[in-house]
Amino acid sequence: MPAAGTLGREAFGEVKGVYGAILPKTVTPKPRAGNPPPRLAEAPAGIINSIGLQNPGIERFLEDLDDYDIGLPIIVSVAGDTVAEFAELCARLAGESRVAAVELNLSCPNTERGGTTFCARAETISEVVAACRTALPDKPLFAKLANEGALNNALASEEAGADALTLINTISALAVDPHTRRIFLKGGLSGPAIKPVALRAVYEVSRVVSVPVIGCGGVTSGTDAVAFMLAGASAVQVGSGGFVREPGEILEEFAVYLRDNELKAQNLTSALRSRDESQEAMLY
Amino acid sequence: MRLQRAEILSRERFGNHLLLRYRWNGCIPQPGQFVMVRTRSFAAALDPFLCRPFFVHDYDGESAALLVEIRGRGTSLLAGEEEEVVVSEPLGRGFDIGNGPVALVGGGVWVSPLKLLSRRLAGRGIPHELYLEIPSTAPEAYGDVISRIFPDADLVPTDDPERAPEKLLARVGDLSRYSAVCASGPLSTLAAVKRAACEQVCVQLAVRERMACANGSCHGCAVPVWDGGGRTYARACISGPVFLAEVLAW
Repeated sequence: MPAAGTLGREAFGEVKGVYGAILPKTVTPKPRAGNPPPRLAEAPAGIINSIGLQNPGIERFLEDLDDYDIGLPIIVSVAGDTVAEFAELCARLAGESRVAAVELNLSCPNTERGGTTFCARAETISEVVAACRTALPDKPLFAKLANEGALNNALASEEAGADALTLINTISALAVDPHTRRIFLKGGLSGPAIKPVALRAVYEVSRVVSVPVIGCGGVTSGTDAVAFMLAGASAVQVGSGGFVREPGEILEEFAVYLRDNELKAQNLTSALRSRDESQEAMLY
Repeated sequence: MRLQRAEILSRERFGNHLLLRYRWNGCIPQPGQFVMVRTRSFAAALDPFLCRPFFVHDYDGESAALLVEIRGRGTSLLAGEEEEVVVSEPLGRGFDIGNGPVALVGGGVWVSPLKLLSRRLAGRGIPHELYLEIPSTAPEAYGDVISRIFPDADLVPTDDPERAPEKLLARVGDLSRYSAVCASGPLSTLAAVKRAACEQVCVQLAVRERMACANGSCHGCAVPVWDGGGRTYARACISGPVFLAEVLAW
C-alpha cells in the first residue's frame, strides 16, 4: 500500500492492480494550506519534505471520498493537534462504510507543537490511541509511529487498543545551504537513506508486540519489501520510492523473489534466519 | 512515475549550460510542459534520489531537446551521459496558445520553453516577438548560443540583477500592442511582468519549482495562488507549471 501523503488521486492510474489498499493524504479536522515553499530538499539517497499536512479538512475529504474508490480498501490517515481532535476524527469516520480502517498519524515531524510530536511520550500515545479506540470501536485502527521511542510507543499503542502499527514515519532532518549560510529546510527525511533505521525499528518492535507491523521507510525495490517482511512486517508501504520507480515494478520484483525462492508472502514475516558467522558478504 | 529510456542524439555543452537532444516518439509535448529526467547511473544507485524537472525546450517531431543549467550533482551526471537518458512523458499544463500578437519574455535558463512556444506560434502563423535578457554575468558562450537558438529574438543585455526586469520590460515597450504575454524567467522577472502587464493583457507565467513526484501526489511543488478569495497553494506539476498571472498570489 502507499504511505500516507505519497499517492494523489491523480496518480491512481499507476497503481491499479498493484497496491492492496489506498491510503490518502493525512486528513485533519480543518483545512490546512500547508507550509510555505520551499517544501523539498534532496538528501543523499533521500528527500527531506516539509509539506505541513496540506489537506482540505475532514468534511471536504468525505464529500470527495468516492474519488478515492478504485475498488481497493480505503485506509484514512488522520492527524489532530489534540487528543480530542484525533478522537473526533475517528468518531466522524466510524460510521462511514466506505472507510476500511484508520491510521493515526502520530508522528508527522512537520507540524510540531513546541518541537515535539505525539511520539515524545508514551503516555500521550496511550491517551490518543485509547480515545480513538473508543471512538472507532468497529474498524481496524493503525498507529503510525516515529522511530524515536518506537519500542515504548508501540507497546503503549498495542495496550491502548491499536490493531496494527505502522513503522516508521520520516525522520526529523535539516538541510543547510552553505552558500547562503541559512537553513534551507527543516523537515522529515524519507527514501533509501532511512531504510536501515526503519528495518531496525520494525525488527525490534515486531519481536515484542503481537499485533501486525506495517513496514515503511525507503522501500524502492521488491527485495526491500522482502527485507521488511523478514524483519517482521506483515505488510509494506511504499512512499517516496513511488516517486522514482513505478510501484508495479516493485511488486513485480517482489513476486519474482517469491517465485525464485519458492516462498509465499505470508511465510516471509519474521522468517529471518539466525546470523551465520561464516556467511558471505551481503550482495547489494 | 513512469519513465522510459531515450537515446541521446546530441549533447552540446557551452559554459555551464547543456543543450541535450534525445529521440522522442511519445506524446507530443506542448509548449511550457516539462519532463522528469535522470541518467541510468543514478537510477541504479538511487543517489541523487529524485529525477530532475526540465521544461521541454524544443521538439521537431522525432526528437525533443532540453536546455539545462549545470548546477549540482544531478545535472552534472546528466551532462556526462553519452548514450541515453531516462525520461517521463511531457507533464503539466503548458501555455494556452490563443491569437496573437504575443510577446515572449524570458531570462536565464528559463528561456528554455520559449523556443517550443515560438516554434508552435510560427507554425500556426501567429505573430510574436521575443525579448530575452542576457545578464552580463553569463558566459560569452551563453549569449552566443541563445542568439543562435533564438535568431529573431531581441536580446537585452543587463548588468544589475535588481534592475534587469525593468530594463527588459522597457525594451518590450507598449504592452497594449499584444494580446498576450508569455514569460519564463527568474522570479523577479515573472513578478515584474505580472505587475506591468496583468491588467492590460492576458499574462501567462511559467514557474519553476522543486519537484519530487511530478504527478500531484506529494504537494512538494507548492505555488501560492488565489482561490475563491483566499490564498492557498497549487501544485506546479499538475496545475502548472504555466499559470495565469492573476492566479498567482505573489
